Amino acid sequence: MTDFQPAIRAEALESLLIEKGLLDPAAVDRVIEQFNDRTGPMNGARVVARAWTDADFKERLLHEGSLAVEEYAFEGGQIDKLVVVANTGLVHNLVVCTLCSCYPWALLGLPPKWYKDPSYRARSVREPRAVLQEFGVALAASTDVRVWDSSAEIRYMVLPQQPPEWVGLEQADLAHRITRDSMIGVGLLSA
Amino acid sequence: MSRQETSVALPGQLQPPMMNGEVVFEAPWQGRVFGMAVALHEAGCFEWEEFQASLIAAVGAWDAASSEPYAYYVHFERALQELLQAKGMVGDGELNRRSGEFSERSHGHDHPVRS
Amino acid sequence: MNGVHDLGGRHGFGAIDYDTSEEVFHDRWEAVVFAITNRALASGVAKNVDHFRHSVERIDPVSYLSDTYYGRWLGGVETLLVEAGVLRSEDITQRAVERGADREARVAARPSGHTWQDDTPRSQSAARPGVVTAKFSVGDMVTTCNLNPSGHTRLPSYARGACGCVVAEHGAWVLPDANAHGRGEQPETLYTIAFEGSELWGDTTEPCVSVRLDLFESYLESRYLEAK
Repeated sequence: MTDFQPAIRAEALESLLIEKGLLDPAAVDRVIEQFNDRTGPMNGARVVARAWTDADFKERLLHEGSLAVEEYAFEGGQIDKLVVVANTGLVHNLVVCTLCSCYPWALLGLPPKWYKDPSYRARSVREPRAVLQEFGVALAASTDVRVWDSSAEIRYMVLPQQPPEWVGLEQADLAHRITRDSMIGVGLLSA
Repeated sequence: MSRQETSVALPGQLQPPMMNGEVVFEAPWQGRVFGMAVALHEAGCFEWEEFQASLIAAVGAWDAASSEPYAYYVHFERALQELLQAKGMVGDGELNRRSGEFSERSHGHDHPVRS
Repeated sequence: MNGVHDLGGRHGFGAIDYDTSEEVFHDRWEAVVFAITNRALASGVAKNVDHFRHSVERIDPVSYLSDTYYGRWLGGVETLLVEAGVLRSEDITQRAVERGADREARVAARPSGHTWQDDTPRSQSAARPGVVTAKFSVGDMVTTCNLNPSGHTRLPSYARGACGCVVAEHGAWVLPDANAHGRGEQPETLYTIAFEGSELWGDTTEPCVSVRLDLFESYLESRYLEAK
């Protein structure tokens, strides 16, 4: 027993409990969301805030994400390779894992329940605009919508656009305003 | 909401690691283990006093016999496992077998429990 | 395998179950705690949000695990009120007892100092740099194989037999298909391929949509291969 990694044991334990009808996985999701909703995405928010205020960092981040964030030494759910994709006036990015629920853990904490649900996984690649509408995001028909399906070990995070009213704010202040949804691509930021 | 009764004073080590008023997970499995414990308690499978006792025992066992550094969720997971075994909910044998199956899977990717 | 997990593009799913996470009070006492906390912040009893958050961190573990979100806030704000000299613990207990609480019942506000470290070892990366030479380059047009494998694969069924463009090349990585079935790592070059929505979904596609997937070299053929 002691030879298995804790992550394996934890997953094995959960799968057995679910099979025996002793545990509802949705209940576990709810607990996690309740306990880890704000701190989770803060790493990503700090990275975004820095990219908005430091042009050199932004360029490095978009060119080679893993290397750019190395100095932060983020713990948690090792990311083998990070790719950060920027939203612009012409391009809107959306991240999903259709095959399971891969997520840029170390930057955004635990994924929200809807991200792992079949509805999002099935529909976001086929009808991303309709899905975005449900999240309250309306895009021009001419906006290039790019859906990134994390089918291998690369993890994606969206660099949202900075609202013009937020230009000039301190990084720490900016970081608190950046939402998890904006870094997945299902939310826009506004003043 | 009712508050449980206890006169047990807990050592600081038994507190889950936190930051900014929130529990911090260093890896996805820690969140699942924490969430499992809370969900099972809320479903009435055990009282927190029982879990605390199991956690104290797990930390004690580590302290007495291990040279590994202190790792909160390793102890937490062990405590949960021992408690569920004691309650006849999940046995060590089946947990070993399932762990063995899972460790044979392909590398990486966030393996969800449900699909 | 065409397992139930391979969900991309499947029909039959309804609206996303998205919780807007507004502050919702399930009971009146929660709203009261919310109001007290805001008052504590406004009056300086809580110096700032982080000071308040730290007070929540310091409540005893039993309360932390068993109380709800606002229960934890209550523990934190009680601590701050006592530390600021506004109230005394005994007064809080006494008032609670007058209202019917058991004197021996647990009170949440019990600071506990601790330090912790977690040295969970990092898992091994799946990258295998420098091991193979890439067959395709950025800008190449490729077609995905029409695989219907019985085993493990990372080519979602919605993207099989489709034509796309290489937009990135990521060096060599462990091939999950082989590794899953005990055939060793067999590292291959991994590419990001961009597919137009129309290529994947035909006429029903939304305007200006592209889907990008990370695919292994063995899933891909050059677009310009002669038809057999």
